[in-house]
Amino acid sequence: MGSNVINILPGTSKGWGGSISASSVDVFTLELADYIEKVSPSVKRVVPISQGSSLLIKGNFNIQATIIGTNADYQEVNNYNLALGQFINESDLDTSRNIIVLGSELAEELFGNNNPLGEKIKLFYQRRDYLFTVIGVMEEKGKGLTGDLNNQAYIPITTFMKKLSNSRFVSYYMAQAKSGKEAAAAVGEIEYFLIKYLEDEEQEKFNLFSQDQILDTISSVTASLSLMLGGIAAISLLVGGIGIMNIMLVSVTERTREIGIRKALGAKNKNIMSQFLIEALSLSGMGGLIGIFFGWLGAYAIAQAGKWPLVVSPISVLLAFGFAVIIGLFFGLYPAMKAAKMDPVDALRYE
Amino acid sequence: MLEVKKVKKIYQMGKVKVEALRGVSFYIDKGEFVAIMGPSGSGKSTLMHIIGCLDQPTEGNFIIGGKDVSKLNDDRLAEIRNKRIGFVFQQFNLLSRTSILHNVEIPLIYAGVKAKQRRELAKQALESVGLADRVKHKPNEISGGEKQRAAIARALVNKPLIILADEPTGNLDTKTGEEIIKIFYKLHRQGNTIIMVTHEAEIAR
Ligand SMILES: Nc1ncnc2c1ncn2[C@@H]1O[C@H](COP(=O)(O)OP(=O)(O)O)[C@@H](O)[C@H]1O
Ligand SMILES: [Mg+2]
Repeated sequence: MGSNVINILPGTSKGWGGSISASSVDVFTLELADYIEKVSPSVKRVVPISQGSSLLIKGNFNIQATIIGTNADYQEVNNYNLALGQFINESDLDTSRNIIVLGSELAEELFGNNNPLGEKIKLFYQRRDYLFTVIGVMEEKGKGLTGDLNNQAYIPITTFMKKLSNSRFVSYYMAQAKSGKEAAAAVGEIEYFLIKYLEDEEQEKFNLFSQDQILDTISSVTASLSLMLGGIAAISLLVGGIGIMNIMLVSVTERTREIGIRKALGAKNKNIMSQFLIEALSLSGMGGLIGIFFGWLGAYAIAQAGKWPLVVSPISVLLAFGFAVIIGLFFGLYPAMKAAKMDPVDALRYE
Repeated sequence: MLEVKKVKKIYQMGKVKVEALRGVSFYIDKGEFVAIMGPSGSGKSTLMHIIGCLDQPTEGNFIIGGKDVSKLNDDRLAEIRNKRIGFVFQQFNLLSRTSILHNVEIPLIYAGVKAKQRRELAKQALESVGLADRVKHKPNEISGGEKQRAAIARALVNKPLIILADEPTGNLDTKTGEEIIKIFYKLHRQGNTIIMVTHEAEIAR
């Protein structure tokens, strides 16, 4: 999706207790989409989209998929290319044909290495079967924040509305501004027009989400998330550091005699100091490595579960390790100094 | 070579002063074998600690190799302990976590000797006390007599001016104790200077 895409969603009627109920207001028709496109000078296109979940069946294999009913413009608005065959065209829309374009993962799951073009698959939607012919496969797409695109299938919106949903209304619109610069103007125009058209001063019947807005929301969420995680990390480091200090102090006390012996054999204060500092550093360094390993594992697990790409920046790994070492150095210093300053005779007498 | 001049050591225990040494003076020459005797609590260990540069006198002077120890800082004292003095304790005082060989290497580590030469010198020292076949063992895997031999090897390894032994047979049975004493005699014959605290009048004779 480009930065000039604006999603126009139907408003959700408020449920009780301030929660938002799932039932959306039925206002979005195909005609309204054309109308918005015509009256808003900054808007290039408005693509209607109907969406539903369905089972795709091939032989005795089936798979859950998101079915998107849309028109020929969807591909361009989403900057989404085909791997095989073709996308929905005008004649498919005019005649409400039972044709389907599969996301890469669906094609892979249903057909493996075989050519899916021209094959027939069954679509099981709300307890009814429909037979569709595969005419295309989309290229593989990175997993975005809006979900897994590779797990979607596309059919003509006319087919969706007449045969599947039996409704005059679509799920939402995807509008494209003429350019990224005109996105803000396009949002204003659509808002103005819809308020008038729907006589909806309170803006209860529709919601606009521009890509920028979504990104803004996401970055503000991630910023506060980072802050919270940073806080947790800081507390963990403090607790860990105090833990290291504790362990080192116990170690120094337990090894008082060893310190005495080493001093009797010619160890200087700085020798004892570095011995215990190195010990604290290797303790915290090991902790750092273990932490990086489990951090990476956790990130991997979450990425797998959410089907997001796994990004572990080398900087954050270095930073984490560096911090662990610094914590070891800082909290190991006091016990090491305590060890170094011991009086040799007292240390030797220690039982 | 070594001179103790009117040395006093006073411990302040709260309001009570404990005089562990009340003005000791003596002189020891190179190659001497000196035995120090006295009842328990008479200050023998305190004196050994001062001679071993582990402690400093409250009053008086201690001079070793022409240097007045009371005027030296911690690092210089550590160097003297490392290069000039070999200490043998009643409780052996080996590091339990590492091998006998590594225990003997420790003074050489602090002297900055390289690893290869260190191992060579430590093995030689262990051979001279009859422990060549125990180098890989940990202290808890060998007998008391063997532990004390290892401790003697450790005291010898830096070729010190003087070997100090504070009741080295105190934790050993009579027979093993005699063997240890024989090693000290041998070291004395080879030209080492030895000061030993002991209860046995025969040695002091
Ligand atoms: N760190 C100390 N604090 C207080 N008193 C001590 C300390 N070290 C030794 N003393 C006292 O000094 C005296 C001599 O002790 P020490 O030299 O160990 O005797 P020895 O080795 O002859 O048995 C004893 O009375 C002992 O209690
Ligand atoms: Mg004593």
